[in-house]
Amino acid sequence: MANNIAAQRIQREFKEVIKSDEVAKCAIRVELVNDNYTELKGEIAGPPDTPYEGGNFVLEIKVPETYPFNPPKVRFITKIWHPNISSVTGAICLDILRDQWAAAMTLRTVLLSLQALMAAAEPDDPQDAVVAKQYKDDQEMFRLTAKHWTAKYAGGPGGNPDFEMKIRRLTDMGVEEDQARVALSSYNWDLERATEQLFS
Amino acid sequence: MVIASEAGPSKSGREKEGSPEEKDDRTFECNICLDTAKDAVVSMCGHLFCWPCLHQWLDTRPTRQVCPVCKAAISEDKVIPLYGRGSTKQEDPRNKVPPRPPGQRTEPENNGGFPGFGFGDGGFHMSFGIGAFPFGFVTSSFNFGDHHHQRPAHGAGRGMALLDEDPFVSKIFLWVAAIFIMWLFYA
Ligand SMILES: [Zn+2]
Ligand SMILES: [Zn+2]
Repeated sequence: MANNIAAQRIQREFKEVIKSDEVAKCAIRVELVNDNYTELKGEIAGPPDTPYEGGNFVLEIKVPETYPFNPPKVRFITKIWHPNISSVTGAICLDILRDQWAAAMTLRTVLLSLQALMAAAEPDDPQDAVVAKQYKDDQEMFRLTAKHWTAKYAGGPGGNPDFEMKIRRLTDMGVEEDQARVALSSYNWDLERATEQLFS
Repeated sequence: MVIASEAGPSKSGREKEGSPEEKDDRTFECNICLDTAKDAVVSMCGHLFCWPCLHQWLDTRPTRQVCPVCKAAISEDKVIPLYGRGSTKQEDPRNKVPPRPPGQRTEPENNGGFPGFGFGDGGFHMSFGIGAFPFGFVTSSFNFGDHHHQRPAHGAGRGMALLDEDPFVSKIFLWVAAIFIMWLFYA
């Protein structure tokens, strides 16, 4: 019964979202992953005037049997540098995906809320403490790092030769690239401290 | 935040685009299952649901009873069942009564034979809440003692004011009404 409602609702929402303006404007996208509507793939365009602009962020959406009475389980598949999203697992800290969920919310409102979260981080309720600290202590460093991640993982514009060079220095030492990027990002691109951390 | 507010106007724009027929249908969709509301109830904040859907929502979060749409405070005993003409034709509404809220909503004798509603089918259960505006308030005041909930600050409509009237006055009204009904039956 519950399962039935979940599948039926996702089916309706899916039809609604693919007709929506936001899809027409390529701001959000939803794709089915399986036939029984229990898993979907979401996509969000990085909001303008943010370090995520120009990037395309893919999300894993798992629909629980108790949907819509409980929220969908959503996480970023595309790596992202954001205070409320884990830079390692893509787990999201957003109230509507937890206790502030309401049964009338839809996939569309979830994706739009996530897009809004990307535009306005809440560093005081962080998912990734390291990112949140950087966000609070050094906005410019945060912006550059987030932009670099967007270029690297989400197909965003612009490279950062300085960052690239530092990553190459670490990969030359046998460090895996993603790991090198996380370490450098976490230490404000201080090569020495990142190396220390990686080899300690 | 910027994005969300941008989405607002475009959403309403989209809803106007649909064919008139489609738009009409959507007006009566349950806000939870998105299907046409069955055993429809409306909250004090004006949001429409199937009773089974809303019941399950309230059941899922017993400590946080809020409207699934606007998050106003809601409670089982402050939802109003809607009885459309079409729905009573298709199915005997009495079959729909059991899953509805207890208390005033299943108090049949007191609203059974109100004038303006057919006695013919003996539909005691179904007559509740339809056309009999004063009765809604009489029966609501029945459970005043034990079921009183804080009403949502912004959800107080015109009808809500009546609920706040003195229970004593309400009871008098109830007895007058009961006598009136008896008179109708036996006259
Ligand atoms: Zn429903
Ligand atoms: Zn509401």
